[in-house]
Amino acid sequence: MKIQVVRIIAKQVRKNTIKNRSTRWLIGIFNVLLFFALISGFYSYSHQHQTVEHYSHEVREKWEKNPDKHPHRMAHYGYVVFRQKHPLSFFDFGMDSYVGNAVFLEAHKQNTVNFSQASLSNGLLRFGEISVGMLLQLLLPLLIFFWGFGLITEERQHGTLRILLTQDVSWQELIIGKSVGLFCLSLMVYLPCFILAFILLLLDTSIYNHIEVITRFLILVISYLSYFFILSLLAVYVSSQSKSSKASLISLIGFWLFFALILPKVSQVAGKNLFVSPSKIEFDTVVEQELIKQGDSHDPNDPHFKKIKDSLLKAYHVDSTHKLPFNYGGYIMREGERLSAETYQKHQIKLIEVYKKQQNLIKLTAPLNPLIAIKNISMSLSGTDYVAYHDFQNQVETYRYHLAQTMNELQMKYISNKVKNSADKGARISKKHWEEFPDFKAQFLPLSVVISHEIVSFLSLISWILVFWILVKYSGKHLKAF
Amino acid sequence: MLIANNLTKKYGEKIALNNLNLHIQTGEVFALLGQNGAGKTTTINCFLGFIKPTSGDVSINGVSVVESSSDTKRYIAYIPETVMLYPNLTGVENLAFFSSLAGFKYSKEELSSFLTKAGLQESAHHQSIKSYSKGMRQKVGIAIAVAKKAMALLLDEPTSGLDPKASNEFSEILKELSINGTSILMATHDIFRAKEVAHRIGIMKEGNLVSVIEAKNISANELEQLYLQTV
Amino acid sequence: MIVLLIKNFIRSKGFLVGLAILFISGMIGLNIGKQFLDKNRDIIEKTAHFQKENIHRYVQYMDKEMGLLLYYVRFGLVNETPNIVGLSIGQRDINPSLHSVTIRNLEEQKYTTDLMNPMYQLIGNMDLSFVIIYFFPLIIISFGFNLVSEEKEEGTWSLVLSQTSNPQKMLRLKVGIRYISILFILFLLLIIAKFYLSIPFDIYLITYILTAFLYVSFWFSLVWLVISFHKSSSQNALILLTSWITLTIIVPALMNALVIQLYPIPEAFSTVLESRDGYHTQWDKAKEPTIEKFHQLYPQLAHFQHPKNKDFSWLWYYAMQQMGDETAIESSKILKEKIRKRENLSKTLALLIPTIHTQLTMNAVCSSDMANYLKFVEALEEFHKQKRMFFYPKIFSDTPVSSENWDNFNLEYFKNQPFINLYMVLLPYIITTILCLLWANINFGRKKYTL
Repeated sequence: MKIQVVRIIAKQVRKNTIKNRSTRWLIGIFNVLLFFALISGFYSYSHQHQTVEHYSHEVREKWEKNPDKHPHRMAHYGYVVFRQKHPLSFFDFGMDSYVGNAVFLEAHKQNTVNFSQASLSNGLLRFGEISVGMLLQLLLPLLIFFWGFGLITEERQHGTLRILLTQDVSWQELIIGKSVGLFCLSLMVYLPCFILAFILLLLDTSIYNHIEVITRFLILVISYLSYFFILSLLAVYVSSQSKSSKASLISLIGFWLFFALILPKVSQVAGKNLFVSPSKIEFDTVVEQELIKQGDSHDPNDPHFKKIKDSLLKAYHVDSTHKLPFNYGGYIMREGERLSAETYQKHQIKLIEVYKKQQNLIKLTAPLNPLIAIKNISMSLSGTDYVAYHDFQNQVETYRYHLAQTMNELQMKYISNKVKNSADKGARISKKHWEEFPDFKAQFLPLSVVISHEIVSFLSLISWILVFWILVKYSGKHLKAF
Repeated sequence: MLIANNLTKKYGEKIALNNLNLHIQTGEVFALLGQNGAGKTTTINCFLGFIKPTSGDVSINGVSVVESSSDTKRYIAYIPETVMLYPNLTGVENLAFFSSLAGFKYSKEELSSFLTKAGLQESAHHQSIKSYSKGMRQKVGIAIAVAKKAMALLLDEPTSGLDPKASNEFSEILKELSINGTSILMATHDIFRAKEVAHRIGIMKEGNLVSVIEAKNISANELEQLYLQTV
Repeated sequence: MIVLLIKNFIRSKGFLVGLAILFISGMIGLNIGKQFLDKNRDIIEKTAHFQKENIHRYVQYMDKEMGLLLYYVRFGLVNETPNIVGLSIGQRDINPSLHSVTIRNLEEQKYTTDLMNPMYQLIGNMDLSFVIIYFFPLIIISFGFNLVSEEKEEGTWSLVLSQTSNPQKMLRLKVGIRYISILFILFLLLIIAKFYLSIPFDIYLITYILTAFLYVSFWFSLVWLVISFHKSSSQNALILLTSWITLTIIVPALMNALVIQLYPIPEAFSTVLESRDGYHTQWDKAKEPTIEKFHQLYPQLAHFQHPKNKDFSWLWYYAMQQMGDETAIESSKILKEKIRKRENLSKTLALLIPTIHTQLTMNAVCSSDMANYLKFVEALEEFHKQKRMFFYPKIFSDTPVSSENWDNFNLEYFKNQPFINLYMVLLPYIITTILCLLWANINFGRKKYTL
């Protein structure tokens, strides 16, 4: 392949397309849209970040300000955690609007994370959101197809194709050249936006780990560039295979519809039918039935805990729980909390398995659908995919468990066995203990974990490029010059 | 019948037709010769009402095309250079469709007879247009024009792409039509056919009707010489 | 002529494919709707069953104190799901259609969500409304974009123009045939929907049908307008596709961003904190002020007093719980107000945008919009109050558990009858359609010498 020729053809594509007024308008409009999406996304992210910081502080303050009281009361007072979004979430909203933002943590109970953006809005949200991710994944392909559908069919129609081929330009050089030209043309649309995003990230003071976030962003940019290159190749290749410009355009629109609408919806329908997920009532009931078998830890005289009671009495050589060197009620509650958390976790894991299977059905269409591949990569790198959310849920549950058990242990240690219930005025411990309990600090997933979850998508992008390379290499034999 | 009076058409600075004067009688066949871009098609389009003249007038049967092009439509029939038809319909169906557009409703037999008269073999009548050759489509075009029973017939390069036999058959049809009183304006490259069919022949160059000769006054060779000299 | 035009259309490749796509996706949409209804019904049945079971079990275990019993017992209120919801699932897959609550603090209970896969919510349901709003226009565009340009590009236009001085008639017949074919599929789907989902033939179904019909008509008028400019097939396809993207993706997303910006809802977070603190802080305070406030709220319960020198009484406990709700009452009101404002603004702006207008109208008519959910939440608050008022006197007077007939407490239902302003529903379509047709008329009139 003669690089010089490829360069000349690429340059010609760019020059010819830019001559059109509509091209310059489109570049302008898209840049405006992207800037708008970027800035409004960043603004709402910052605003959200501040709001969460504010309310999280309030929660912490209130926690620490609590007066001396029975630790079990604190376990029921609990903690409220507000979800902090990932710094890159302004780029691709992903599932952010559909997952909850506030969760109440208390003993014995796993609450849902509530107040998703979707639950507060009306039907508009379902139409989609203007984020940079959406524009790049969904609309930019159409632009590339619009600029690219005629690149070879028009040469054929005007008769210049024959001349090119007789000038010793090979099909490979032609297709690669046109694709590169189209790709470079598209750069004018989104490169400014990437640069602005990079600057915003550098200046964002809310980020703790700049290096990791910047690395994520760079991988994101490379992925998007690969995506656009694949689309450029697709456009030019379809153009070379089509009988007329009209046919080329219609094929490409068909591809877009297939990638953007049909395949995701169909895999969603299939997933729902193949992997049935339980409703909350079913889930809660199953868990509750198991919990009942374990007994009520609030009631120290509950017959289920009799075994434990007897063994404790034996071990400490006493005849009544009042004489144990620690608060028996607290001990039982700690046991109860452990058992209930285990039961809940067991069922929760099964539920997540179903969700993951449903999602995988969609994710695994990535080899067929570059749009899904880039969407997955984009969401996961922006921290707005299900894996990130699930990790948040896990961290929250771990914290909740830790909180409940710490309170139980405090009860065991400091509350005397003679106290009747937590309302008893004598059953109080110093508020210093509240300050000692650490605040909730969410961690974002490390980059290595994120990438490992999206191996399929990354490989899909690579394989699409390879497939095109092969197609283009062997294309000369089948393509028509006129 | 077909009258062009000081017909001029300009596209900006470019002059497509320059003060064209033409008068074609009832039953007369007039052939228009000239190079590509001389203005033959433009002239025909003016008569058809497809192009609005810059100045001058075009009229058919005394009715001005410029003022009431919708009225003049029923006086003319047209066969374009390349007759394109609806590929999903058969020959008979295409004929029926175009005739119905013109307000004519024919029975299947009548439609078939038009096609046969135009030279299309019976076996092809009910076949889809997709299988037709260029000559066959041309014949359907002829049938459409004939079925319209119009006073004037406008032809743009009618014999281009026809083999000698089909060309001949076409000439016979034209002669028959002219005998029956149809005025015919034919733009063509085919000097031989022009001499054969036309009563008068006009030669156009760069928008001007340079010379008009009676066909019987000139031989084919002489016509060719004149033509090459003019253009 | 019309017979031949029909033959021409039917024999073309795209025709059957296009109609098949609409029909098949419509059927899939209906199937999804049915599955949703079935799952919903299943959840409700299970809940009804479990509620009975639970009450029975708790009554057995906690037969000593009614106060303790009612700490655990849950009562369910169902947001009735009429079968028409299957046509437009709307917010029903985001907000739950059923709330089971105890008589404790309501603020903590009313925002719980059901278990849903957020990726599915992101992709969205492919119910019949989705098919009508997204797919029908695409097929309409594919049927109509080259109505005129194909004649020109295939070369038949000059012959047509020479045969008739009124090619308009032929074009109108062409578009009419396509219009009828699409309407046929639409009405076929709607009829199947009526029987498959067992939807009653009431004003809501009629409004839905009218909305769908007018929406399809609007798209035909838009296509008619675009082709009246006599541009090439490729140009028409691009213009129409751009319109589709603008109307179905860009404008709604922009409008959503606008609505969210204009009415941000920080109250969501503050209600959580306020209600929690409102309840919990009472534990550390003197009991008298709490009880006093409670008596002020419910003077009819004033004769119940907290027994002096006792650490705990159910009166005090439930009074505290109620204080949680009372503290958050302002924020909660503002929260609902803001959601309502978002809803109203969207509906107003949507009058200019047929796609959004269609979706919102369909949601409203199918009782699956935000307004319906807000009404449900209000009904829940009433329901909660009614249960509390019923049980408070019994708890505070230590009525024995066994004296109550616990079998009477079944699932209750909230039925919503949304008010449909037919003029507001139909007007936007009529206006936009007429505007398109008028403009197209002018265009067609201008093009006398067209080739």
